[in-house]
Amino acid sequence: MALEQHPVGALEQALEAQHERLMPCVHCGFCLPACPTYNRLGDEADSPRGRLHLMRAVVDGRLSAASEAFRRHIDRCLGCRACEPVCPSGVEYGTLLELARDVAGRSRPPVLSTRLMLAVFSSRLWRGLFFLGGRLLRSTGLAALGTRLLPSGGLLGSARLGLAMVAATGPWRASRRWTEGQDGTTSHAGAVGSASADPDRAQKPPPPSRATPVVADRHRSTDRIRVGLLTGCVQEGLYARVNAATRRVLEANGYDVVEVRGQECCGALHAHGGDLEEARRLARANVASFEAAAVDLVAVNAAGCGAAMKEYGTWLSNDTVDDMAERAAALARKTRDVSELLSESGPRRGAPLRGVVAYDHPCHLLHAQRLEQPPLSVLAAVPELEVRVVEGASECCGGAGIYGLTHPDLGGRIGGDKVRSVLAASADVVATPNPGCMMQIGAGLRLAGADLGVVHPVELLDESYRRAGYYAGGPSGSRGPRPSGGI
Amino acid sequence: MTEPLAPTLERRLVELVGRDHVITEADRLLVYESDGLSAYRWPPRAVVLPATTEEAAGVLRLLHGEGVPVVPRGAGTGLSGGALAAEGAVIVGTARMNRILALDPENRVARLQPGVQNTRLTDAARPYGLYYAPDPSSQTACTIGGNVAENSGGPHCLKYGVTTRYISGLTLALADGELVKIGGAGTDPEAGYDLVGLVVGSEGCFAMAVEVEVRLLPLPEAVRTLLGIFASVADAARAVTAIIREGLLPAAMEIIDQNTIRAVEASVYAAGYPTDAGAALVVEFDGTDAGLDADARRAEACCLSAGAREVRRARNAGERLALWQGRKKAFGAMGRVAPDLLVQDATVPRTKLPEVLERIGEIAKRYDLTIGNVFHAGDGNLHPNVLFDRRNTDERERVEAASKEIMALCVEVGGTITGEHGVGVDKRKYMKLVYGPDEIDAMRDVKAVFDPRGLFNPGKVLPDAEVSA
Ligand SMILES: Cc1cc2nc3c(=O)[nH]c(=O)nc-3n(C[C@H](O)[C@H](O)[C@H](O)COP(=O)(O)OP(=O)(O)OC[C@H]3O[C@@H](n4cnc5c(N)ncnc54)[C@H](O)[C@@H]3O)c2cc1C
Ligand code: SF4
Ligand code: SF4
Repeated sequence: MALEQHPVGALEQALEAQHERLMPCVHCGFCLPACPTYNRLGDEADSPRGRLHLMRAVVDGRLSAASEAFRRHIDRCLGCRACEPVCPSGVEYGTLLELARDVAGRSRPPVLSTRLMLAVFSSRLWRGLFFLGGRLLRSTGLAALGTRLLPSGGLLGSARLGLAMVAATGPWRASRRWTEGQDGTTSHAGAVGSASADPDRAQKPPPPSRATPVVADRHRSTDRIRVGLLTGCVQEGLYARVNAATRRVLEANGYDVVEVRGQECCGALHAHGGDLEEARRLARANVASFEAAAVDLVAVNAAGCGAAMKEYGTWLSNDTVDDMAERAAALARKTRDVSELLSESGPRRGAPLRGVVAYDHPCHLLHAQRLEQPPLSVLAAVPELEVRVVEGASECCGGAGIYGLTHPDLGGRIGGDKVRSVLAASADVVATPNPGCMMQIGAGLRLAGADLGVVHPVELLDESYRRAGYYAGGPSGSRGPRPSGGI
Repeated sequence: MTEPLAPTLERRLVELVGRDHVITEADRLLVYESDGLSAYRWPPRAVVLPATTEEAAGVLRLLHGEGVPVVPRGAGTGLSGGALAAEGAVIVGTARMNRILALDPENRVARLQPGVQNTRLTDAARPYGLYYAPDPSSQTACTIGGNVAENSGGPHCLKYGVTTRYISGLTLALADGELVKIGGAGTDPEAGYDLVGLVVGSEGCFAMAVEVEVRLLPLPEAVRTLLGIFASVADAARAVTAIIREGLLPAAMEIIDQNTIRAVEASVYAAGYPTDAGAALVVEFDGTDAGLDADARRAEACCLSAGAREVRRARNAGERLALWQGRKKAFGAMGRVAPDLLVQDATVPRTKLPEVLERIGEIAKRYDLTIGNVFHAGDGNLHPNVLFDRRNTDERERVEAASKEIMALCVEVGGTITGEHGVGVDKRKYMKLVYGPDEIDAMRDVKAVFDPRGLFNPGKVLPDAEVSA
């Protein structure tokens, strides 16, 4: 089934073209209890089955795509896709939602904040400025200050949430307990990700001589797999340290991480925000860039971006120019979450970290990509690290792009519940492999006055490798500490 | 489209439960026009979502005062159209009445609001080594309130019995908003009339359950799950009869036919049923560990002598879960095969199963329809699921005619028109196949005791003059 690339004005036909996708919904209701918005609001129009029913009503011509009801309930969906894995009929809700948003957006433009954000993410220049501003707010401490001083309601409340999200992107400082070395001595490391001099501004991968750490013997062969890293906009803009850690960790597991020039925003935000046209443009650019880099596989460390890239084949299925449809599908088949790559390779074990980490599943990893074990296996490669999966980890954190800004009340409730269950895990640090979730949970914790850092799981593995001496450079590294169970 | 609520009534409802919980816009009401049986579309006049017993009673009082009919609705997974709003009725939904109020492990009872999902109750009880026994296939989604109304069954009801055995007390809000408590902690179920038993299974036509007290059971110590693979449904049915004849009492015996196997195997709940098999039979034993293996072996022998080409045993909890998931999600999985589905429900004497199944196959062939059978074979409870496409008018008519023949067939062999999904709106037309006018009058009299003005869930169960939707 293809996503029609339809002219404006043919809205209903666009959904109609999805008849085959909508029809399998047999109205059984199994998806209701999986839905965070239904669970909190109790209105079936805010349930997956209800939203599908509204879509079908539009297709059948019984409801206008411009109606308040259609827009409100389609808008209020988090896009978390928790309704997909529980659906016995295999309704492809995520794809239908993107289309419904596109249809709703054409009949009535989305709210200003959504449009602004999509515009920023469409242009490299704007993106660059936006994240530069973010980093400035963070490094000057203004973000943290605003989080403390601004009131929680109204427009200023939104600004406060935004600033808290920015402030939350700073590197995590390990507590004393974590920094104790294996023999009880204190290591020099203070912050996870401190392996590179200025982690958050590391715009380019380190030069190959340094970037090739000592790897286990079985990976010394010449047929190392060439992977291109999707650097991502938020990830590169505010979490460059996560990209740096990803490169190091992949290299240490025997992958060749190559630079992919000309890559763009993955388009996920545009697709979710109702601008499929722009999402497709970005996707085409990425297809070309990753092809040019001749990579075997694409590594993605942001769950939302990975889920989107795995859908490129669907997005561009009707694009016949230059065989784009097949090329997009081919790129989608090569796309892997970083945890998939790592768990395929072992992953290699590092040095112990003594602490407790609370793990939360990003929806776009668990529900959209159906990856439950791989990220946990990344954490399991860190000896002595105690992993506690957050209670209700399969439920959305309420981040969902800028949901917290567009739906402050509901987003706040969903986020608040997540913060409570994260705190209940009594961990030293929180790990979740998606920048949006890292920001949302981090901001929620800050606003709740909790001093708990949020990291990407690969950051912990990276720290563990650094302590194990895998990055010491040169052959000496191989004589460094080799924890038991190493590959 | 029915006329909107009077503005004063709407305002008072809003004052009572809050603006967000009174839904009156026609566009939003669309999503409430169907339940799990999407062949019917009856949009309600409004939907009100109270959160507490007092709010629910208040809502009913207000609506009753204005003579507006009401319909309780749980998760809307019902398969007989029971939660649909006939005659300009207002839906009173329990989605926000979803708290477990008390769980008493000592006395093995729990008190809960009606909107709690069946599985959530068991999840809450499990840490105490307890569970809630009735397990409708829809248990992750359907509510206890809906289960009470439909007296729902499930695969394990073969051994454990249906909902009514597990409901020890109810707080009811009557049509006029009066709250009445029946049964409940400390009362002797044997003394006096069994009022709780009267209300359970009344299909939401007597009163709204606003609080439910349930009995919990200790989790069985051990389980053995078998899967028999057969060349035909008739062979599988013969195995069921043989197992019962052996004097064995499995916790569950479920048959899944070839059409359904194929749908399940194509879904996310693929259970590893061989797609070339004519039927699969799931048999489960539970209880104390000692003796279960012997039971399982005897059942295995029964299957083999009935012609099973293979009998497998789930080796661990994961395999067992997969086997069950396949069965429990079978109905939803049918959505893959055809856009619309009519789930039928009837009961026949167990020994008649092979004959009835054969004749259902003939009916399907005659009307050129695909019918997938999944059923609680131990109880003789059949679910012939008719696949169709509602856009095809001719096919829709054939579905209707075939359904009628199937019902008549079940009644003819000594069975009845529903096993567990209830009569609702869908089976009213068949009521006269099984009941005479006196019995139907008696039912009407009982309803009038609870609901003298006939404002509670009108247009359901009893074969009145056709209601206008
Ligand atoms: C895939 C699937 C599988 C199913 N499997 C089974 C099965 O194995 N066994 C089985 O028995 N059923 C089964 N069902 C049918 C259905 O799930 C049950 O009838 C269930 O009990 C309905 O619960 P609900 O909360 O969805 O109720 P609804 O569908 O919302 O309502 C059903 C009826 O209950 C009434 N009602 C709801 N709440 C209350 C209340 N608080 N007080 C009074 N009346 C109320 C309504 O008015 C209506 O008449 C299945 C359904 C589906 C879709
Ligand atoms: S679970 Fe799937 S088939 Fe069932 S109502 Fe939800 S979307 Fe429809
Ligand atoms: S995507 Fe998430 S919020 Fe949206 S309908 Fe599905 S479960 Fe609900």
